[in-house]
Amino acid sequence: MAEEAKFKCLRCGHEYTDTYTPGVPQERTCPKCTSNSVRRMKEK
Amino acid sequence: MMDVGRHPKIELLTYSEIENVTGYIGNFHVNVRKKARYVDEDACTACEKCAEVCPVVAFDEHQLGLASRKAIYIPFPQSVPASYLINMEDCLGTNPIACGKCLEVCDPKCIDYDEKDSIIELDVGVIIVATGMDVIDPTVLDEYHYTEFENVMTSWEFEILTGPGYVTGSELLRPTDRKVPKSIGFIQCVGSRDDKRGHPYCSNICCMNTVKDTLYLKEHYPDMECYVYYMDIRTFGKQYEDLYKRSKEMGVRYIRGIPGDVEEDPETKNVIVAVENTTTGKLEHHELDMLVLSVGVEPRVETADIQKILTLSKAPDGFLAESHYQLNPIDSPTGGIFLAGCCESPKDVKGSVTQASGAAARAERLLSQRRVKVEAITSEIDPDLCTSCGICVKVCPYKAIRIEKKKAPAEVIEAACKGCGTCAAECKFGAITMKHFTDDQILSMIDAMLEEKPEEKICTFACNWCSYAGADLAGLSRIQYPPNARIIRTMCSGRVDEKFIWYAFQKGAPVVLVSGCHFVDCHYIDANRWTQKRIEKIWDKLEQKGIRPERLQLEWCSAAEAKRWQSIMRAAENLRKTVSKQEIEETIRILSNGDKPKTKAKAEAKGKKKPKVTAASSE
Repeated sequence: MAEEAKFKCLRCGHEYTDTYTPGVPQERTCPKCTSNSVRRMKEK
Repeated sequence: MMDVGRHPKIELLTYSEIENVTGYIGNFHVNVRKKARYVDEDACTACEKCAEVCPVVAFDEHQLGLASRKAIYIPFPQSVPASYLINMEDCLGTNPIACGKCLEVCDPKCIDYDEKDSIIELDVGVIIVATGMDVIDPTVLDEYHYTEFENVMTSWEFEILTGPGYVTGSELLRPTDRKVPKSIGFIQCVGSRDDKRGHPYCSNICCMNTVKDTLYLKEHYPDMECYVYYMDIRTFGKQYEDLYKRSKEMGVRYIRGIPGDVEEDPETKNVIVAVENTTTGKLEHHELDMLVLSVGVEPRVETADIQKILTLSKAPDGFLAESHYQLNPIDSPTGGIFLAGCCESPKDVKGSVTQASGAAARAERLLSQRRVKVEAITSEIDPDLCTSCGICVKVCPYKAIRIEKKKAPAEVIEAACKGCGTCAAECKFGAITMKHFTDDQILSMIDAMLEEKPEEKICTFACNWCSYAGADLAGLSRIQYPPNARIIRTMCSGRVDEKFIWYAFQKGAPVVLVSGCHFVDCHYIDANRWTQKRIEKIWDKLEQKGIRPERLQLEWCSAAEAKRWQSIMRAAENLRKTVSKQEIEETIRILSNGDKPKTKAKAEAKGKKKPKVTAASSE
């Protein structure tokens, strides 16, 4: 099931929320700088 | 189809489904479920007596419910074999027999209520996938009141109404009053070329299907008014433009503009269309007896199952992806499997026949050789180092690695291996060697790259097919990118082992960039998904160790994206400038002594002992 998750671009530092389905890899692109170095921020 | 059915060297399995496929090019083993027909297809003479006495009236799937069938029926008039079958969901019941009328009248005694599904096992050398496509279901979109107005129908329904097999004998009758319509309109691109409603792609066949329909109408009903509402008419094929012109000459009005909505006259049940004619800029109203929605096509629902069974790749539009859309449009990414017809993309009869002929020729060429050339770059497993953990089996996109018995070492099927290297990158025991891209070779490249002034270098891993080609195109196109980028080519980004990244950081790399194909372009089906997973794990580990995760970048870049490559490298250079010498020294300190990670060669040198997992890779 898709859930909301926070993502952070490791190129420009932009943080945003997007859907995330555990176990289903998805090509992610930073909406600000188009980098693919997008990291899902896990809740601590 | 008749020719295929009669051909002495073709075994036609109808009413059957593929359950499982194992093996590889030249040696596929296929399990086919042949569903019970409850009628002996060889003995049945299609005399029709059984259907005449059958009391059941059911929805005729072939005629989209515009006609009915019996529980015992021939699926469609041209079906091969021309024998009846019983749909047991419709049949009144055989246990206990509640009806049995068909059994009583069947002279050849070919009905068997107790027949069961059978599994047929086949050994085949090649497989051609020709599973076709579906027509978009307009009820989901409910475009132009399709579910509400009786005189609004789809182009497929129109085909059935005007077809020779229909009850009206191919005479077109309006559903509400059973009269020949005096005016008819066709709306193009319903469910196609629209990101929000339907599919973004062009369905390819609808324009010419409408041109053909209008020609049919004008030939049979010359006085009928015909309107076609369109965005663009795409007559790309041989002589298609001539047909389009002929249709216009016969009086069909082509109006450039898609109606926003339609209304129905409650008394006459006529359909009133309001459309802005973008050629004249005027709003026009047309009262029509019938409206046909030219619906697009989409991949079959079963495509996902076929993809899994045959380890195929799917394009973003949902159709099966070919190996290369220009240079290898018939082969699938998996060796020995070819694509034909609309399973690959929407196409007309001519396109399907052309591709099917090509697929047959490709299959024949392969079978006649009786041997295949395998890739030079394949993986090799050292049975002494393999622990049978099974990770390589899991990650291989081609099912080219198998573990036959429990705890037996994994084996590579060389004919099926395409050399992506994902297995070698995922193996934690150094048991897998990628020929021509060994760990030692790549680590030596890192050594050479970072031997002098490592703090000035951008350590880049690029996949052979997309990123490396994108960098190459940037060079050829004189698109400049920072000259301090040092690129190590791997066949796939999936080959980039975790230990290469740790080693690069240990050797003083300020930034490491891993680059591969976009997900849809991956040359190795889905190998680059494993790259992403791996990089995500390393980001976490970097953070845990107190190293900035930003220093490891991941980018997808296609062979055509030279400008993107430039922007990726410029961003990497900007990032590199933020990494100070002290930060690099601190990283080296954190990651211990900077020794080369243990590789298979070192493990062998230690007398075939299983190597301890290195500090970096064990994290």
